[in-house]
Amino acid sequence: MIIQAKGIKKSYGNRLNRTEVLKGIDLTIEEGEFVSIMGPSGSGKTTLLNVLSSIDQVTSGHVFVEEQDITTLKEKKLADFRKEDLGFMFQEYNLLHTLTVKENILLPLSIRDIDKKEAEKQFELVSKELAIYDLKGKYPSEISGGQKQRTSAARAFIHQPKIIFADEPTGALDSKAASSLLHKLKQLNSKIRSTIVMVTHDATAASYSNRVIFLKDGLIYSSLRKGERSQEEFYMEIMNNQSVIGGVGVES
Amino acid sequence: MSLNRIILKNFFKSVKNYALYIFALIFSVVLYFSFVLMSQDDTIAAELQSESVMSTGFTVGSVLLVVIIVLFVMFANSIFLKRRNKELALFQLIGLRRKKLLRILVLENAVIYFGSLVSGITLGFLISRMLLLLLLRMLQIELSIGMSFSVTAVTQTAILFVCIFVLLMIQNFIFLKRTRLVDMLKLNQSIESDYRGIGFWTIVSGFLGLVMILSGYWLSMNIMDFGTVLVPLLLGILFLTIVGTYLLFKASVAFVLNVIRQSKNGRLNVKDVLSLTSIMFKMKSNAFLLTLISIISALSMGLMSFSYISYYSVEQSVNASISNDYVFYEEEEMLFYSELLDESGINHEVRTVPFLNYEATGEGITINTPRGGSEIDLVIVSADHIESATVKENEIIIKGLISTLDAFMNFEINSPITLFNSDYEQTLELIEVDGEAILPSHVARGALQAVVSNEVYQKLEEQYTYDEELRDNLVSYAIDISEEDSQEIFELMNQDGHHSFESRINQYTVQMQGAGVMMFVIGFVGIAFLMTTGCILYFKQVGEGEDEKESYKILRKLGFTVNELVKGLTIKVVLTFGIPLLMGLLHTYFAVNAGWFIFGSEMWLPMLTVMIGYVFLYLIFAFFSLLYYKKIVRESI
Ligand SMILES: Nc1ncnc2c1ncn2[C@@H]1O[C@H](COP(=O)(O)OP(=O)(O)OP(=O)(O)O)[C@@H](O)[C@H]1O
Ligand SMILES: [Mg+2]
Repeated sequence: MIIQAKGIKKSYGNRLNRTEVLKGIDLTIEEGEFVSIMGPSGSGKTTLLNVLSSIDQVTSGHVFVEEQDITTLKEKKLADFRKEDLGFMFQEYNLLHTLTVKENILLPLSIRDIDKKEAEKQFELVSKELAIYDLKGKYPSEISGGQKQRTSAARAFIHQPKIIFADEPTGALDSKAASSLLHKLKQLNSKIRSTIVMVTHDATAASYSNRVIFLKDGLIYSSLRKGERSQEEFYMEIMNNQSVIGGVGVES
Repeated sequence: MSLNRIILKNFFKSVKNYALYIFALIFSVVLYFSFVLMSQDDTIAAELQSESVMSTGFTVGSVLLVVIIVLFVMFANSIFLKRRNKELALFQLIGLRRKKLLRILVLENAVIYFGSLVSGITLGFLISRMLLLLLLRMLQIELSIGMSFSVTAVTQTAILFVCIFVLLMIQNFIFLKRTRLVDMLKLNQSIESDYRGIGFWTIVSGFLGLVMILSGYWLSMNIMDFGTVLVPLLLGILFLTIVGTYLLFKASVAFVLNVIRQSKNGRLNVKDVLSLTSIMFKMKSNAFLLTLISIISALSMGLMSFSYISYYSVEQSVNASISNDYVFYEEEEMLFYSELLDESGINHEVRTVPFLNYEATGEGITINTPRGGSEIDLVIVSADHIESATVKENEIIIKGLISTLDAFMNFEINSPITLFNSDYEQTLELIEVDGEAILPSHVARGALQAVVSNEVYQKLEEQYTYDEELRDNLVSYAIDISEEDSQEIFELMNQDGHHSFESRINQYTVQMQGAGVMMFVIGFVGIAFLMTTGCILYFKQVGEGEDEKESYKILRKLGFTVNELVKGLTIKVVLTFGIPLLMGLLHTYFAVNAGWFIFGSEMWLPMLTVMIGYVFLYLIFAFFSLLYYKKIVRESI
């Protein structure tokens, strides 16, 4: 058990004008699991991810990461935790536009004592797998949306974090680029047992994971485990489930 | 909700954004108004010995002020417009006509603008009173100031700022007209598109910039060697340093930072991200502005140094030009005033000093002009007439060496100097050189003076070839007051109002007040310049902070702490303020070093005082920028 969320509530706004986005979520994620979160737009997926990853604060409830309650940690400790153990891929890519692709990717390594050669090797490996090695000297303004997304992915992978949080990592990718990214995620998941929490609208992407959690109106609506099934079977079940929930349907 | 209400609401919501703009406006009004108010204050003018000094000084000053204020306000307005770009685009997108939009802008601006005008005038009135006290102090006039409020000053300020208002509206109009809707909506992307790699030309021009500045400096140090082509030389130096500074900001800085960056091979830490990479691009796109800032601050520091040098050196320069308390052109006049002083019971000594004109040469004298040589004219006086000088036989003291001459001539103590005329020579040993004059300037006519022992003087006199017409004129007439000379004694001697003598104390007062008014005006304008450049840099930092907010957010999401970010930003602030500051200081140093001797006799103390003041002002602005960054970083997540 690497992540455990207990009764998470999150609301935005002031006292007079309040919207409750998460209405009490209990969730346990085991070490080495690959979990997808699905749900209609506005259902609170990004919010849940932010809360789990310590970027945002909960209104009430607790989040434990490796038995440690991160809702009570100090800012400095939290920052260290994010730096050391987490990898992020954000919905809006979040690249620094003053840095080249390579510099953006290597950013998480800058605080570690990794020697130059090792860093270089890691960079080559990851960027070649995601087919962005040739872009390394370019600035974000000079590359396409999908290339930005892969850069953001490479940044999340480079330091082989314990947990990777990915918010719609395939949103801007064609199916080929998407599947190589998902393969990479899967590989990290099986090789170094990184735990992966991914938000997606895409049933194909979700079928790569071990478990899919459906959110609706700020609550967990249902949850599917892959178990021993094949990816195709799992895909079909996800599709069925999605049409029951409604909202955003098939869109890839 | 009607459109007008939406706009109004938007306006009040973004009133925080206006804070800077309002500050810039009030600041400018205060500057101008207090300046005009002071220039119209009769109390000082009445006290001054020479009235024209005041009005000329203030006129020149106010022209300079108007120029800087117009530039400053327009700059602030442009930042302000850019910030509201998106909002304006949105209104256009939903179908608001440009004409209507402009009307809204005019209305908004009018409210802000005239509000600022009124508060600026009030504040300016209070501040000008304080400054006036300072000015009186500097002029050593004791006087109490009332609270005279000048309507003309208000009108004058109001007229200027109404004109500026019209200018601003034209600026807004052009801005609206020029920007296409697509550009306006893509605001963020358009900022990003600046971020591109460093090309070959950057390297070349970066190098060229450094070379140009250095050669400009080198020329300024060796100005004397090129004395014959002074004007083209000065223009050349100006050209080299200004263009060099521009290239430095445009390319050299980016080039150097890029070398550092390359050496890290992609592994940048958070400090590099926030300082190196950000500055690399920002300096490039702000090159023109930064050049302007460096040049303006060098200019104002240079002028302030010069005026402070002349203020500081008034006493010495008076002593170098007027040898005695009172100096007369005719013997009868001297006797007349001596009698007058006797009647009033004032102890004094009459000094009738004969002198001779000789030429001098020898190892003790070197002249640093392209023509070289070592022949100078000396006016010789016997030591018997000069109490302060002790000269043995065969020795000589040179007097009245003012800094202007000092720059051209070198004197070697203990070296021989030969006095000669067409048929006589006498070699003596130089034992001392001194800045004080021993003969009045109308007698010495710009030549240096020398004291020799009476024996030598006798010999020189015997051998002197007299020009018959001038024979009687080889005597100077002066009076020294035994005790301290005072303004009262001067008034006594100057009863009829137009005196036919020169008075050291009067000359001192006149020059001191002239230099004082000049220094005050230049100081005021100079500080105004510095403040505005500091403000502009601060505004720029605020703008950059807003632009980079997104980056701070990302970095914090990636796990960097507020402290780490602030450390990186500190480096950035130090560099953004430090580089223009350093350029300004260096330019000033080389400019002052090349020309200070024209203005007085002491360079370091006045120059350093000005420089320290400048550094201090910049520190304040840098500090505020840092505070602002801190706030943004803290609120970014
Ligand atoms: N900073 C905020 N302030 C106020 N409300 C917010 C804020 N962020 C999100 N919300 C609201 O919370 C709800 C959930 O947002 P969230 O971003 O988690 O949705 P999502 O499930 O990720 O949607 P999408 O699939 O479109 O990305 C939305 O209704 C949104 O309006
Ligand atoms: Mg989302």
